[in-house]
Amino acid sequence: MIQLKSMLNCIDNSGAAIVECAKVMKMHRGAKIGDRIIVVVQKQRNFGPESGPGASVSTSAANKVRRGDIRHAVVVRTKKKLQRPDGSVVKFDDNACVLINKTGEPIGTRLNGVVGTELRKMKWSKILSLAPMHL
Amino acid sequence: MASTSLSFRPLSCWTSLLRKSPSPLQKTIVSSRALTTYYKPKPIDAPFVPKKKIKAFPPPSSFRAHCKEPIQAVVTSQIALLDPTGDRTTLFSKANPEAAHVGDILLVRLKNGDPFAGVCINIRRRGVDSGILLRNELTRVGVEMWFKIYSPNVEGIEVVQRREKRARRARLTYMRKPKHDMGSVQNIVLAYQRSRGALRGAAAGGAVGHENKGGKRKVKAKGKR
Repeated sequence: MIQLKSMLNCIDNSGAAIVECAKVMKMHRGAKIGDRIIVVVQKQRNFGPESGPGASVSTSAANKVRRGDIRHAVVVRTKKKLQRPDGSVVKFDDNACVLINKTGEPIGTRLNGVVGTELRKMKWSKILSLAPMHL
Repeated sequence: MASTSLSFRPLSCWTSLLRKSPSPLQKTIVSSRALTTYYKPKPIDAPFVPKKKIKAFPPPSSFRAHCKEPIQAVVTSQIALLDPTGDRTTLFSKANPEAAHVGDILLVRLKNGDPFAGVCINIRRRGVDSGILLRNELTRVGVEMWFKIYSPNVEGIEVVQRREKRARRARLTYMRKPKHDMGSVQNIVLAYQRSRGALRGAAAGGAVGHENKGGKRKVKAKGKR
């Protein structure tokens, strides 16, 4: 149940670490796995090797998004239980999303973390293929 | 209207006269229908007329008498359909001392897709709707899944490891807290699968059917205890 002001982890390598939901698109209720939302980047990710004296320059070069950017995203994990048509229920321990551009292509090139299988149903197979694991 | 009818029917002039003076017979009838409560009893020596017998139909046969507990009947029939061998029922029955309990690590093999393993933190016993809640950690993210134990999508449920001591709670929801979280049980499950594979290789049962194998595994898992 992602709604206005929800904070999500961003699990791709676009450079965002924590994002805040600004709008759930085409819906009047909380977003679930596979739903498209608009987010504001709140925290940038610092990559390991770059964290040194020249960190600020290299992180800004590596990061495709910056703090304060407004981007589209797809929810890939929710804390809220999600029931499948076969009666099984899946629940993750955090809320997570993947940044996409306006045409629906993911901004990052790799994902770290499990994602929900509902993405296939919602036609996000590109994100699903990037993910190391889906459930 | 009245004028036209007058012109067409010459006898209509009589109607008004007749209305003004109603017939004496009619008058008497009206007077006999007075608002009185006078009751004239029947004469004692009146002939006895037997009452006409009304045919009474028996009530429709009660469904309750036919089937005492219909819901239970449906549940048992469904379980018989979904679990013909009775393995699932015994695996989670309270009467079975070797049943799977809360706190055990269970592995659910699914017909479509990868198996899911995790610590069982809740068993919801509701007849054919019974389910188990498994918790695991995948890619450093906690994941919980509910499975219906009689679901046709579930191929088999195996006990990977049992809890050393019986859990003193029915629902181990405290295991979500970082203090009590078991973390990933993937290593234990992998080791179990490897040992089982080795055992199966030693048995050299190449042409054994799939269901048969599942039964063997379960027996071995129980034997370990």
